[in-house]
Amino acid sequence: MTTETITQAPAPVHSRGNRKQARRNTLIGWTFILPNFLGFLAFTLIPVVAAFALSFMEWTSFSAPKWVGLANFERMFASDSFWIALRNTLVYALGHVPLTMALALILAMLLNRKLKGIGFFRVAIFFPYITSLVAVAVVWNMLFSPDSGPINQFLGAIGIANPPGWTSSSDWAMPAVIITSVWRDMGYYMVLYLAGLQAIPTELDEAAEVDGASAWQRFWNVTIPSLRPTTFFVVVMLTVSSFKVFDLIVVMTNGGPGRSTTVLSQLIYQEGIGEGKFGYSSAISLVLFIIVLTVTVLQFKIQQRRER
Amino acid sequence: MKRTTLAAIALAVTAGLGLTGCAGAAGPAEPQAAEGKTRLTVSVWNYEGTPEFKALFDGYEAANPTVDIEPVDILADDYPQKVTTMLAGGDTTDVLTMKNVIDYSRYASNGQLQEINSVVDKVGKDNLAGLDAFDIDGKYFAAPYRQDFWLLYYNKDLFKAAGIEEPKDLTWEKYTEIAKKLTTEAGGKKTYGTYHHIWRSVVQAIAAAQNGADQNSGDYGFMEDQYNTALDLQKSGTTLDFGTAKSQKTSYRTMFETGQAAMMPMGTWYTAGILQAKKDGKTNVNWGLAPLPQKNDDGKVTTFGSPTAFAVNKNATHSDEAKKFIEWAAGEEGAKAISKIGVVPALQNESVTAEYFKLDGLPTDELSKKAFAPDQTALEMPVSDKSAATDKILNQEHDLIMVGERSVSDGLAEMGKRVTSEVLGK
Repeated sequence: MTTETITQAPAPVHSRGNRKQARRNTLIGWTFILPNFLGFLAFTLIPVVAAFALSFMEWTSFSAPKWVGLANFERMFASDSFWIALRNTLVYALGHVPLTMALALILAMLLNRKLKGIGFFRVAIFFPYITSLVAVAVVWNMLFSPDSGPINQFLGAIGIANPPGWTSSSDWAMPAVIITSVWRDMGYYMVLYLAGLQAIPTELDEAAEVDGASAWQRFWNVTIPSLRPTTFFVVVMLTVSSFKVFDLIVVMTNGGPGRSTTVLSQLIYQEGIGEGKFGYSSAISLVLFIIVLTVTVLQFKIQQRRER
Repeated sequence: MKRTTLAAIALAVTAGLGLTGCAGAAGPAEPQAAEGKTRLTVSVWNYEGTPEFKALFDGYEAANPTVDIEPVDILADDYPQKVTTMLAGGDTTDVLTMKNVIDYSRYASNGQLQEINSVVDKVGKDNLAGLDAFDIDGKYFAAPYRQDFWLLYYNKDLFKAAGIEEPKDLTWEKYTEIAKKLTTEAGGKKTYGTYHHIWRSVVQAIAAAQNGADQNSGDYGFMEDQYNTALDLQKSGTTLDFGTAKSQKTSYRTMFETGQAAMMPMGTWYTAGILQAKKDGKTNVNWGLAPLPQKNDDGKVTTFGSPTAFAVNKNATHSDEAKKFIEWAAGEEGAKAISKIGVVPALQNESVTAEYFKLDGLPTDELSKKAFAPDQTALEMPVSDKSAATDKILNQEHDLIMVGERSVSDGLAEMGKRVTSEVLGK
């Protein structure tokens, strides 16, 4: 059936009959998108618009929503918890994005060669990404255990007298979460970089080598610029996922100790689902949405300017 | 195949998807109850691991052959969130189990529950422990069937080995003293004198109960002594370090059942757990019960606890049957059914207590029996619409004090400041 359809595909000639054909084709295209679009409409678009409206209302989910104007936003900007969560989210993103990107690129460079058993190493590094997040968090929590954890025992063995308290210390809990998340995500972004590296024509590198460029110069002036589209994609994806981080933090520290690792998406969950203040939590999610949107638009603008 | 046919198929598939989607949203299809029986649905958590539910349901079905009870099982950790979401969506589950009084006050004040004064009157107000917590201006929207309170579990063998007599009439000072004596390290295996689980109630609810103080007050000076006691035990290595317990997600059951801790303040729900573990051969701990250590040594025992209750959903499909079930479960029949598996019922009278101590494996010494009759049981957390928000703040600050990030006085001051500004809105 499919082959028949494909072989029948007409050449694009501008005649009346073919225009009708084109309209039909468009219609078929639409019908193929429709199921997906309906799902998007019902489970993403409508809830997003509803959340936008809810952020100006008070709603406990039991009674009808009540219009309160900007009260939710006033409360939010006056609340310590909001600013702490916002700061934590930014700290997490600033740690997670560059580290993951750098490590993913280094790993991709290392594993982008023909070597026996290279497939095994690639899989090994990709593996954390497909492992259950709860298992990852629980195991890392044990590794980070302040007294008996292997990490602190190792640090003690190499002569560090006061190793950090990791998840039990408000200064070190966020670094612990970032380390875990970098370890988990770098495999995925490594795969993206590998694909990017393999798309670079080898002639470029060879030409540079013939011109006498050192390995380092070739890396900076050939590889990095050629990887720009990949890097752009990686940065956008990483930034968006960093701002939305939720699951890892809930399982590892649940926002603690105190509020030292509470992030915005977790605050949204606590206020909304936990305490039933859906209006207030919608207001926070609106702020999160605006932040993510701004950062992403900014990244697109920078990318466009570079390409000009 | 013609292109129009293809388009038609695609459209049909799409329409089909849309329709099934709508049908799904219209509400779950009612599963068929057995012939001629009423199907009563009850929301529960962790059905497998909470044997009281099965004991109650089996007992009720045996007494009422026309009723078929179907548990709606929910993950324990997410129970309040899930029930809130269900109710917001107009769920018609008949009986809702109130896991704690904070959630109860939220559902009741939002008008999600039916008033059941008639049921409470029939069971008898005077016999139901913990009933006061459910009184909202003279109206009851739930009836407690179970009343847990805190006491001290101890390992008789470890006490004997250390030459210490049973933990009778303990004050917190005396408790700290013997906990330190019971702490030993031999052959790389450490035995802790006691184990304090990471919950804030271990410090805060005890302090509130024994000082007659209010955890929603915004003034937390009354917790100071209790925090000092807890931190002293931790610093001297008499209990497992809070940070370690938290990052390793230490199980309090393991600590006690493997003899790693000689004492442990914990709720009465754990008796059913130990009995089961011994029955399954998972532990051979020789355990006893004692009253919770006290602030004063006037011989009075003050502890805290929280009742668990059944309520009728406003949107219940079978309201009358639901009320009948609650009357049975909170009443003597229900109390005996859960007593048999080591769960402390809310209904307390002599015949129920006698049934409880008939349990195989329950320690029957005088001290254990005394532990079961505290003079006063305060509520773990007051019933108020502020409790959920206060609870979150007290939890966060508890963490910081216990890991040593904040001094006791700074931590308590911060608690007060945050509760006052974020919850009480002053």
